[in-house]
Amino acid sequence: MIKVLPRNIVRFIVLILAQILIFNNIQFSGYINPYIYVLFILLVPFETPKWMLLVSALLLGLTIDIFSDTLGMHSIATVFMAFIRPYVLNIISPRDGYESGTFPRVSYYGLAWFTRYASILILAHHFVLFYIEIFRFGNFFSTFFRVIFSTIFSLGFIILSQFFVYRH
Amino acid sequence: MRNLLRFIVRHHFIILFILFETIAFFLLFQYNTFHKAKIVTLTNSVRGGFSRVFINIKEYVSLREENRKLIEENNKLYNLIRSSYRINSFESLNVNDSVYKRKYIYTDAKVINNSTNKQYNYITLNKGKNHGIEPDMAVLSNDGIVGIVKDVTENYSSVISLLNRNFKVNAKIKRTGYFGPLLWTGKGHSKAILTDIPHHVQILVGDTVVTSGYSTIFPEGYMIGITSDYKLKGGNYYEITVDLATDFKNLSSVQVVKNLYREEQIELEKSAESD
Repeated sequence: MIKVLPRNIVRFIVLILAQILIFNNIQFSGYINPYIYVLFILLVPFETPKWMLLVSALLLGLTIDIFSDTLGMHSIATVFMAFIRPYVLNIISPRDGYESGTFPRVSYYGLAWFTRYASILILAHHFVLFYIEIFRFGNFFSTFFRVIFSTIFSLGFIILSQFFVYRH
Repeated sequence: MRNLLRFIVRHHFIILFILFETIAFFLLFQYNTFHKAKIVTLTNSVRGGFSRVFINIKEYVSLREENRKLIEENNKLYNLIRSSYRINSFESLNVNDSVYKRKYIYTDAKVINNSTNKQYNYITLNKGKNHGIEPDMAVLSNDGIVGIVKDVTENYSSVISLLNRNFKVNAKIKRTGYFGPLLWTGKGHSKAILTDIPHHVQILVGDTVVTSGYSTIFPEGYMIGITSDYKLKGGNYYEITVDLATDFKNLSSVQVVKNLYREEQIELEKSAESD
């Protein structure tokens, strides 16, 4: 358990680097941007204090913003995502709750649970992010498709990463 | 204070969330030109909408005052228009001006009787004593001089036409300034003669003949006619035939001129002569 904090810090840095150096340069048909850095928020331990969650979300968002020159946008989306995470966890909690000493991961709660959990939060994040970026509700559906497709891609990368990086 | 702290502690998650989002939005609007422009446009339109509503309300509330002002304005304008005046006096308007003293008063009149075929022709005008017409006032038309008022009744006046053997007016040639009496010889309604012009004066056909300033009746420089012929009479003086500018066969609207200083001038000249 003591290794949790350094591990999260390392994950924080690695995810940011991966996002900035690799995924920010990926644009499928100039339309779909995967944002995998949200994985950090997804994987934060259940017991993390809520304020800590928000602070780390703000830090994460700000860092991404600074490197992609979109000051504010990612911060808004990420803080929002961190804000709704406890409620989402509540809604989709397994019948007998979350066991202590476990993490919100595929290996603990299964692929189906993780997919549901991740898709809700990623969708929320992307929804906020893209609408803040476009900053109007005209062409609502054009933006909405971007949200959906980007969510699918981000989700795909994140789930894939679960199998590559965190094997049993 | 403690309650406040407890409140903050209990809701720290939401408070923190709102705080962070506020910070993030602040950054967004501060450092992204597009979003900044958007939000400025939005706030402007919101503000514009608000102020429009406010102005509408204000206008509605002040309608009573506006109406009062409009009524006052209407009254003012009604008081100015001509139709709300009754003609109270036949006297012409006298303006008191200490720099320009008024010398002539013009009154318009209609010719209601006119003759040109006699030796002593008279014209009758439709205005008389009631309208301020007095004997010895000059009568002019738009083209040139017409005559001199001789007699007036309450509402009519009789004018000695220029086409009258008794008519005489002091005239001058505009170009040279030499003057002499102008008379009608009884021949034709369009010709008169100007006499007493010295023989050394060069006369040209086409010279303009106007009233001289030596008359107490006619204003100076008023058109009489144009020279058409001249001949020396008795070796010393020219007798100049003048084509009259006024068409006496077609005379309808004339102006009667009162010289306000005539009395004074005549009085002075009389006292000078009697000495």
